[in-house]
Amino acid sequence: MLCIEHLTKRYGEKTAVDDLSLHILPGEIFGFIGHNGAGKSTTIKSAVGILQFDAGRITINGRSLLDEPVACKRDLAFIPDNPDLYDFMSGIQYLNFVADIFAIPAAVRLERIRRYAALFELTDDLVQPISAYSHGMKQKLEILAAWLHDPKLIVMDEPFVGLDPKASHLLKEMMREHCDKGGAIFFSTHVLEVAEKLCDKIAIIKRGRLIRTGTMEEVKGDDSLEEVFLELEAE
Amino acid sequence: MLGVLVKKQLAEVFKSYFYDAKKNRMRSKWAIAAWFLFFFVIMVGFLGGIFTALSLQLCGGLTAIGMGWLYFLLMSGIAILLGAFGSVFNTYSGLYLSKDNELLLSLPIPVRTIVAARLINVYLMGAMYAATVLLPALIVYWAVAGATAARVICGLALLLIATVMVLLLSCLLGWVVARISLKLKNRSFITVLISLLFVGGYYFFYFKANSFITTMLLNADVYGEKIRGSAFGLYLFGRIGEGDWLAAALFTVVTALLAALVWHILQRSFLSVATAGGSTSKPRYTEKAVKEKTAFGALLAKEFGRFTASPNYMLNCGLGVLLIPACGVLLLLKGRSVTGMIGEVFASRPGCAAVLLAAMLFLLLSMNDMAAPSVSLEGKSLWIPQSMPVEPKTVLRAKTAVQVILSGLPMLFASVCAALVIDASLSVRMLLVAAPLAYAVFSALFGTFIGLRMPVLSWTNELAPIKQSAAVAIALFGSWAFCTVFAGLYLFIAYRIGAALYLLSWTLLLAAAALLLLRWLDTKGSAAFAAL
Repeated sequence: MLCIEHLTKRYGEKTAVDDLSLHILPGEIFGFIGHNGAGKSTTIKSAVGILQFDAGRITINGRSLLDEPVACKRDLAFIPDNPDLYDFMSGIQYLNFVADIFAIPAAVRLERIRRYAALFELTDDLVQPISAYSHGMKQKLEILAAWLHDPKLIVMDEPFVGLDPKASHLLKEMMREHCDKGGAIFFSTHVLEVAEKLCDKIAIIKRGRLIRTGTMEEVKGDDSLEEVFLELEAE
Repeated sequence: MLGVLVKKQLAEVFKSYFYDAKKNRMRSKWAIAAWFLFFFVIMVGFLGGIFTALSLQLCGGLTAIGMGWLYFLLMSGIAILLGAFGSVFNTYSGLYLSKDNELLLSLPIPVRTIVAARLINVYLMGAMYAATVLLPALIVYWAVAGATAARVICGLALLLIATVMVLLLSCLLGWVVARISLKLKNRSFITVLISLLFVGGYYFFYFKANSFITTMLLNADVYGEKIRGSAFGLYLFGRIGEGDWLAAALFTVVTALLAALVWHILQRSFLSVATAGGSTSKPRYTEKAVKEKTAFGALLAKEFGRFTASPNYMLNCGLGVLLIPACGVLLLLKGRSVTGMIGEVFASRPGCAAVLLAAMLFLLLSMNDMAAPSVSLEGKSLWIPQSMPVEPKTVLRAKTAVQVILSGLPMLFASVCAALVIDASLSVRMLLVAAPLAYAVFSALFGTFIGLRMPVLSWTNELAPIKQSAAVAIALFGSWAFCTVFAGLYLFIAYRIGAALYLLSWTLLLAAAALLLLRWLDTKGSAAFAAL
């Protein structure tokens, strides 16, 4: 589904991501962990076409992100770490904007908005301007927008930050359900307990380089993910 | 602490002078110096030049008949009006709507320090404009009447008092706007409406100023006596510039007391206004049938939504939407006599009326420059168009289309009005419609082009991209320069080829330039947008 090969991204002299390769298959929840500034967000932003990279190749469903960016983006949804949305729109205007961009028929979008907004208890607030939303409400709106067009691949940067426990639980269920239907999820997190319980595969990045990747069992063995992560960080 | 906050705000205002967003690095010392030189030329050379000429016109006559005070009263009035004009909404957004309000309030900084830093910023911006009037006025006066110690010291006191008055007026009106806007539903439009009343008043004053000044100069003694008799305070105010110590001391005390009062009100109300969520009732969502749009349609609607949601955006970049058709109506009413008069004045330059009319329409188009800050206004939400399945060129075309529509439609009306009233051949009439429309399209494309070349994405107050960015300055002043070249070229040289050929040449040139810009936006511009 998502194939990152030898990705390298530099900011001036600094190499933020160095020769990183990852393969995320359909049906997989793929966790991406690392300390602050390790290169997680840079990798994620490169994978969704926001950042241009210096070397490597990224494909989504077999299509090159560089050669066919629009077709690739049609298959994915992205949820960034900071919910900076269009403050001048209301929630429902934003969802309709996203639906128009992804050409979702009116009846389908209405049904999906109704379903997901009810799940996240956001229905009554949809008509409010986004500027009046709390951080958590904006995060929920982003999740709604991401699921709205039924993407094959969902890429998320720290998706649980700002969510209340109920919404977090709901998101985890939706992630599993999405992958059970053949979709794939690639997300970064600092919450190792969540990653341990939720992910099928995991990758650990340190100073821009991939230091370990594989299934959860392959990466952590009999230890906890936290122990393995701290041990690798200390090396 | 205060110094740090003020420095931060000023750094944001002049950020584009120091930092090259395109190359993501600080500018060289030479580039910074060049940018500040450009700023200096505009403020001192252009604005200062206008008011030096006005001062020279007024000062000699009034000083000769012992009415220097009336001269200072007039010039101070203009300075206060100019400084306060436009600052009202800057004060509101600068004081209360800055995106870093919450961040600063969460830090161990006293609220009064935050308010003081914001006020100093408002003061400096207002004072900058007021000084372009008063400094030339003082210098001209000192040159004409002589620079005694009393005149110089009191003159500088007048400058200080007038600039503080600009601040007080801006704050008072800004506070009223803040209070009103908390209680309104369609606050953007109401804010624009109130602003337009200000603008209307300003232009009324501006257009009447010449006849007013002439009448006043002819009857200076009569008006002077009337003011001195019925508004002694105004007389005293004018006396400050003449070196009256008592008047200077009196107004310094009064201004200081008023400043203390305004400071007290703002400091006490800042938290409640800055953190208020509004008192309008919250509507609940009800499902409605939606009309599907194409990706371009959705992006266009988004751009219109952004434009109409921001009074600052509408006021600073979209006044032409109203003024261009208003000018069309004015042309229908007075156009024949005006074009006839131009024809008589420039009898040796055939076709001059048509060219000058076109130049005036071009000038009106400079009031619409919503495309220039459009890329910058994406700010931190730039990730949305970048991560969506749309071509960057579609995003850029939508941004351009807003200006093409908001300029093109009013211009179509105004230029048809112009074509109807002018006494010219059919070809000239047709070109009088075509040329402004070509310019409307060109200026929209140029706005997007320059906005993309000079983006300001990391702003905390939308005024930074809308009002203080280099892109907007270039779009505006570039437009003025173009109008000057367009009219001047015909008046001095090109009248020999006639208006029809001249207008046709420019129409074709603008259309070709527009096509080139469109091509650039679709190719290199799209790549640049994707790489932002």
